[in-house]
Amino acid sequence: MDNISEKLAPIRKGLLEFVILKIVAADKVYVADILKLLSPTQFATQEGTLYPLLSKLRREELVDYEWQESEAGPPRKYYKLTPKGRTQLATLNDYWKDLNRTLAEFGN
Amino acid sequence: MQKVVSISLNGNSYQLEEPGYEQLHAYLERAEARLRDSPDRAEVMADLEQAVGEKCRAMLSPHKTVVTSIEVERIITEMGPVESADEKPAGAMDDGAPKSASSYPGYQPRKRLFKIREGQMFTGVCNGIAAYINVDVTWVRIAVALLTVFSGGGLFLAYLVLAFIIPYAETAEDRAAAFGMPFNTEELISRAKKNFEEFGQQYRWRREWRRQQRHWNRQFRHMNEQLRAATAHAGPMVGQSARVIGGIFVVIAALIGALFAVALVLALFSLVTQQSVFGFGLPHGMPLWIAILVLVGVYIAISTPLRMIRHGGHASGYHPGWGALHSLMWIGFVVLLFWASYTFFPGVRELVDQLMWAANLTATTISETIV
Repeated sequence: MDNISEKLAPIRKGLLEFVILKIVAADKVYVADILKLLSPTQFATQEGTLYPLLSKLRREELVDYEWQESEAGPPRKYYKLTPKGRTQLATLNDYWKDLNRTLAEFGN
Repeated sequence: MQKVVSISLNGNSYQLEEPGYEQLHAYLERAEARLRDSPDRAEVMADLEQAVGEKCRAMLSPHKTVVTSIEVERIITEMGPVESADEKPAGAMDDGAPKSASSYPGYQPRKRLFKIREGQMFTGVCNGIAAYINVDVTWVRIAVALLTVFSGGGLFLAYLVLAFIIPYAETAEDRAAAFGMPFNTEELISRAKKNFEEFGQQYRWRREWRRQQRHWNRQFRHMNEQLRAATAHAGPMVGQSARVIGGIFVVIAALIGALFAVALVLALFSLVTQQSVFGFGLPHGMPLWIAILVLVGVYIAISTPLRMIRHGGHASGYHPGWGALHSLMWIGFVVLLFWASYTFFPGVRELVDQLMWAANLTATTISETIV
């Protein structure tokens, strides 16, 4: 099982961006929220990975953030999807469905 | 008691215990290095600082104002290794999975074996091991000394090897790592290579120095010949006095040299028969053969310049210039050493007094027989 998990690690890494777009599309979130959502899944990750990824997504104008006051401590960055991000997410969804279809066509 | 370092993360100040601060500093430095080519570097660094700050704050309360080193370590582990999102995922990259500390050799606050200069006795190996296994260095030294005795000196070789392959903790990052996974084989080999190269360079340097020395000697001799030619014209008196001074040097050097040779023989004798030199026991755990090597080494170190004077005296008795000054300094040094050991070490004093007494006795006996 661990072996499989290791084999598919590059796939998960590639998909992480997709997953984050999905999460951000669902709700305005803050990094700790994303980490919490991901932690029980196969996509569990850490700040060290997430911050650079979110910054890249923002540079590609797929997500954007706004500062929001928090009850404890300094304001936080809340991320949301941009229109361009929404288009990208739709494309990715389609592509994923295609992939699944192809996999299914090769039988079980 | 721990020293506390005040830091500012994104404009908020926090107090960290010093080792924790060093670990955090190293973590952020690694992160920055990793993001070097990323256009988002500044932003990500600010995000990371903020995240660390928030985690620090979660550790604090009105009655707890300092973040401990253990807490910092936990925070860094939680943050995980920073990786640039812009790197094209190569097929072999195994990221994205929940990470165990060990799968990330480069980015965890991992422990590494370093030689540590602060408080080192010889090379800092014991000190580094002590930091690595987190015990007092005295215990490590005792263990090494005992094992050296029981292994018949074999451990000493191991120690030398370690002294070669383990790097010194040079930066704050290294020092943090010294206290915080063993280094991998690849690193170990490359480190050993590098140190060996450095050693080779030192060796080459020494060879170069000797070459230079030979060169100087040649020049010196050449100058002497010229001088001799000149003094032959100027008048024999100058040459005569120079020759006398040169001769005196040779005699003094020869006498001191002989004295040291006698001392070496006596020392070796007492070392083998009584395991002590001039009343000093061997340092704890030092095998006899090493003591002998050390003794011979010291003798060579002291006697070489004396020999040089003797040889130099023959060749360059005419010219009490730089070479003679050099020799004089050496003699001064030896005399100083002699005086210091005579004054401060009763064993040496006893031996010298005995030798003096023996010399006196011999001298009177000789003079009496002659008379």
